[in-house]
Amino acid sequence: MIGDSMSAEVLSKLVNLSSFAALGLTILLIVRARLEGQVRVFGLQSLILALLTMLIALYTGSLELFGVGIALLFVKAVIIPRVLNRSVGKIGIVRIAAPYLGTAPALIICALLTIVAFYVMAPIAKSNLLPTKDAMPLAFAGVLIGFFIMVNRRRAVTQILGFLIMENGIFLLALLATYGVPFIVEMGVFLDVLVAVLIMEVFVYHIKDNFDSIDVRELGILKE
Amino acid sequence: MLLSLLLIPLTAAGLIAVTRRRVLIELVHIVAAMATLGVAVAIAVLVWDGNLLSAAGNLFRVDALSALMISIIALLGAIASLYAVGYIRAELADAHLSRIRLFFLLFHLFIFTMLVAVTTDNLGVMWIAVEGTTLATVFLVNLRHTRASIEAAYKYLILSSVGIALAFIGTALVYYAGAAKAGEIAVNWSTLRAGAASLNADVVRLAFVFILVGYGTKAGLAPMHTWLPDAHSEAPAPISALMSGVLLNVGLYAIMRFKAVVDAAVGPVFAAHLLIGVGLLSLLIAAAFLVAQGNYKRMLAYSSVEHIGIVCLGLGFGGYWGVFGALFHVVNHALAKSLLFILSGNILLKYHSAEIRDVRGLMRAAPWTGALFLAGILALIGLPPFAPFISEFIIFRAGLESYPLAAATGIILLLVVFGAMLASVNHMLYGEPPADLARGDALRLWLAPLAVNFALLLALGLTLPAPFEAALKQVLLVLGV
Repeated sequence: MIGDSMSAEVLSKLVNLSSFAALGLTILLIVRARLEGQVRVFGLQSLILALLTMLIALYTGSLELFGVGIALLFVKAVIIPRVLNRSVGKIGIVRIAAPYLGTAPALIICALLTIVAFYVMAPIAKSNLLPTKDAMPLAFAGVLIGFFIMVNRRRAVTQILGFLIMENGIFLLALLATYGVPFIVEMGVFLDVLVAVLIMEVFVYHIKDNFDSIDVRELGILKE
Repeated sequence: MLLSLLLIPLTAAGLIAVTRRRVLIELVHIVAAMATLGVAVAIAVLVWDGNLLSAAGNLFRVDALSALMISIIALLGAIASLYAVGYIRAELADAHLSRIRLFFLLFHLFIFTMLVAVTTDNLGVMWIAVEGTTLATVFLVNLRHTRASIEAAYKYLILSSVGIALAFIGTALVYYAGAAKAGEIAVNWSTLRAGAASLNADVVRLAFVFILVGYGTKAGLAPMHTWLPDAHSEAPAPISALMSGVLLNVGLYAIMRFKAVVDAAVGPVFAAHLLIGVGLLSLLIAAAFLVAQGNYKRMLAYSSVEHIGIVCLGLGFGGYWGVFGALFHVVNHALAKSLLFILSGNILLKYHSAEIRDVRGLMRAAPWTGALFLAGILALIGLPPFAPFISEFIIFRAGLESYPLAAATGIILLLVVFGAMLASVNHMLYGEPPADLARGDALRLWLAPLAVNFALLLALGLTLPAPFEAALKQVLLVLGV
C-alpha cells in the first residue's frame, strides 16, 4: 500500500499544493473573460480535486474514497464541462462574462474573503488530527469566492459556474476535514449536482429564447 | 411498511411515465395519493403508540417527529392531488399529453423526495432529498411556461441550490465535529444526538449558522426568502399549496433536527437567539411586503414567510410551551395555507387574473370559494375560533415570559399583517363582481376535500384532542424539550 511509503508530511505538502492550485483556479475564473475559458478552468479544477481524492484514498487505503474520486472525475471534469460547452456553443455570440464589478475590485474582494476564510476556519481546523487539516481555510476561501462569483455575474452560464466552483470548494472542505462524507452521500450529491446542472442548462435556453439574452438583469418582471 | 410508503409515490411516478391515456394517468395518480395517505396514517398511529420504525439498516428511521411530518405530507398531498385532477383539466385543457404526464409524474416525485427527507436518519441523505425537492418542483413552477414563470423557476433553482449548498457545509461540519471527537464515523441523527455532549462546541456553532441559512432558504426564512413569492405565485395552485403548506415545513424539519443536536452540544441559548433573530426579520419583511400587496398569490406567499417566522420564534422562545406552540402552528399553517392556495387556483380560473384589484365581489360571483377563502384568511390572520389563534397565543405567551421584548415586537408586526391582509381580502370578497362574469364557482365539486382542512382548523381551534396532544408531546420528547 502506498500509505506505508508516503509519510503524513509528504501528503500534507501535496494536499496544500493542490488546494492552493484549486484556489488559484477559482481566482483565475474571475480574471478570464470568455465563457469557454471559464469552463476549462472549472474542468481543470475538478481534475485536480479528483486526483487529490484518489491520492488521499491511496494514502488511507480506502476503496470507497477512490470510487468517489473516479466519480468526481467523470461527473465534474468530463460530463459537466461538456454540458456547459454545449450551452455556451448554442447561446450564440454573446460570450463575455459581464460581471457587475470589474476585475480589480473583484480581486480585492477575493483577498478579503480569503482572509475571512482563514479567520473563521483556522481555529476550527486546529483541533483536527488529520494531515490534511492545514488546507481547510483554503477550501473554505474557495467556497466564499464561488458564492461571490455567483452574485457578481450577470450571465446565467457564469452563475452556474459560480455554483459549481462553490460545490467544488465544499467537496474539498469535507475531503480535508474528514476524508469526505460517507460514500452513499457523496454519490447522491454528485447525482443532485448533475441533475441540477442539466436543469439549469434547460433554463439557460428558456431564458435565451424568451428574453433574447442570457443577462439575468433582464429578469425583472416579478417586481412588487 | 416504511419502505412501501416510499415506494408508492416512486412507483406511481414510474407508471405515469409510461401511461399513454389521460384517464389512466389520473387514476394512477389518485390511487397512489390515497394509498400514500393510508400507509402514512398507519405508520403515524404505530409510531405514536410508542413504536420506532426503521428500515434498510438504519438508513430510514421514523420517530414521533418524522411521523408528524409524514402525516402532514400525506394528508395535504392527498387533498391537493384530488383538486389537481380538476385544476389541470381546466388549466391545461388543450395541452399536449406529455405536459400533463410531466405534471403528475413530478407531483409524485415531489411527494417522494419530501417523504425521504423526513424519514431518513442519515443527515447526508436528508440533504440529498431536500435538494431533490427543488429539482422535482422547478419544472412544476414553470408549468405555464411564460416569461414570468421561467424567471421564477430559474430564480428558485439557483437560490435554493446555493442555499442548500450552504446547508451541506453545515452538514459536513457537524459530521466533522462528530468524527473528530468521537473518533467514529457518524452522520446519523440518532447517534449524533446521543453523543452530542462530546462534540466540539465551536464547530457545532459554526455548523448551525450554515444549517440555519441553508435550510432556512428552503423554509422561506428572511433574508434568503426572495425566491419564495415568485415561485409560489407562479406554480399551479395545487403545487403552490404543497410548496407553501408542506415543503417549507420540510426545511423547518431539518432545522429542528439540527437544533436538537446543537442544543445538546452547546446549550439552548445559542440556537434560540439565532432563531428569534431570523424569525423577527421574516416577520418584518413579510409585514412590509403585505402592506398594499397587489397580487393575492404573492400575498399568500409572503404570509408563509410570516408564519414560518412565527414558528421560528416559538422554537427560539423555547421551553415546553414555546416548542409545543411551534409544532402546533406548523400543523395549523399547513392546513390553512394549503386551503387558501387551492382556493387561489379557483379564483384564478374564475377571474383570469392574480391581481387583487381585478377581483371584486367574490362572495357573490363564487359563493363557496368566497366563503371558504374568508374562513381561511380569518384563520390565517389568527382569529378565533380557528386553530392558528390558539397556537399563536401559546407561542407569544411563552415568549412574553422568556423574551418579552422580542415577543412584543412580534405581536406588533402580527397586527400590521392583520390589518394589511384584511384590507386586501375585503376588496376581493365584497363589492360588485364584473358584469360580464358568469356566476357560480369554478370546479365546485373538486373543492369538497377542502372540508377536511376547514373541519380540522375549526376542531383544533375549539378543542385540543387528547391523541393529538399526546402525539405532540412525543415529538417534544424526540426534540429533547
